[in-house]
Amino acid sequence: MEKFVFFGGKGGVGKTTVSSAYALKCASEGLDTLVVSTDPAHSTADVFDQPFGDDPRPVEGHDGLHAMEIDPDEAVDEHLMETKRALADQVSPAMVNEIDRQIELAHRTPGAYEAALFDRFIDVMRGSEAYDRVVFDTAPTGGALRLLSLPDFLGDWIDRLIEKRTTSIDLYERAAIGDREARRRIDEDPIIARLSDRKELFEFAGRTLDEAATFYLVLNPDELSIRETDDAIDDLDEYGLDVGGLVVNRLTPAPDDDEHGRGATYLRERCATERERVTRIHENFAQPVVATIETRVEEVKGDLLDEVAAELDIAAATTTGER
Amino acid sequence: MTLAERIESYREIVEEWLHGLYHGMVEGPAFELIEKEAEDTDDAFMLACFADAFGIPSPVSYYTAELLPYLADEFAGWERRLWDRGTLVERKGQQYHF
Repeated sequence: MEKFVFFGGKGGVGKTTVSSAYALKCASEGLDTLVVSTDPAHSTADVFDQPFGDDPRPVEGHDGLHAMEIDPDEAVDEHLMETKRALADQVSPAMVNEIDRQIELAHRTPGAYEAALFDRFIDVMRGSEAYDRVVFDTAPTGGALRLLSLPDFLGDWIDRLIEKRTTSIDLYERAAIGDREARRRIDEDPIIARLSDRKELFEFAGRTLDEAATFYLVLNPDELSIRETDDAIDDLDEYGLDVGGLVVNRLTPAPDDDEHGRGATYLRERCATERERVTRIHENFAQPVVATIETRVEEVKGDLLDEVAAELDIAAATTTGER
Repeated sequence: MTLAERIESYREIVEEWLHGLYHGMVEGPAFELIEKEAEDTDDAFMLACFADAFGIPSPVSYYTAELLPYLADEFAGWERRLWDRGTLVERKGQQYHF
């Protein structure tokens, strides 16, 4: 079992329930576990019935379990303030306004939110020594997948920037003929230093996702979610990430044999179609189905969470030793 | 003034002229040429960093924004060069001092 476990899937299939239940299972088997919600519409707080923030906090009533909810908006604001502080330190007041506009603009672009989320992602992964297992409850399929494709993509881009910058500085150094001072030097350039730092972070993220992460996809026994799962597996495959297994959630419970009312008939028919779909999931997907979870009458929280946790056939503690 | 002193001062003048000539014909243009090339590469770098300044969405502008405080002077220079530059021929042509 890898240290980082991701749960993904279509919206509303029960990712939060499954990832919380899994985190609980890990914690009850003695692993120090952190559950991280990256979905902008956080619901971990509802599952555990207590508020969580941007920093890890112990979950009351469960030993060894911590939780946090990443807030990218806060991260964007922080980044903006930091950059502006550096601006005030570095630049003459006359020029600040001009540059300020550009900085504001960069923080309002659509990619900023994702970039901030990704930064926090890396933060969490880097600062996870205290935990044996980190469970990510990701945003619905599209967003989460794009996020995971970022390390490669951004790494390439930063590479190109560093290359260009190095070339121009190299030229400046060559332009320093005779006793002229070079306008810029590579080993003193703050730009190259910062870009290289970034590059290292992206490489770390790419490596960690490659080597120390497992993905599970949660789906419901309906056509839409089966199809989306199929697409998600293809996408992940494209990014070189393996899906460890599937969790089928929200199965309809079967009625007792001696019940013959309208409700019972409905349930029986529903069960039959779902059973057929589950069989198809077993046949069509190469990934193993690691759990099938029945719908509960109430919201899954409290004791119900323990019950669901018990139904998960995902090993929790198999590799504590060899981590 | 002795002969030696007169030769000395004559040599100084010649040296100064020769150095000026060398600088004007060889050093200066070469320096300008290379520095212009460097500026052009810089411009490409700036465009890759801040494409959004021209309305082209850039996925990395969030990351490159943190470079701006250190690039302020270059950023202003870049904007000026972009407005000033007539044609590529004109800029490349500047190296020949007609």
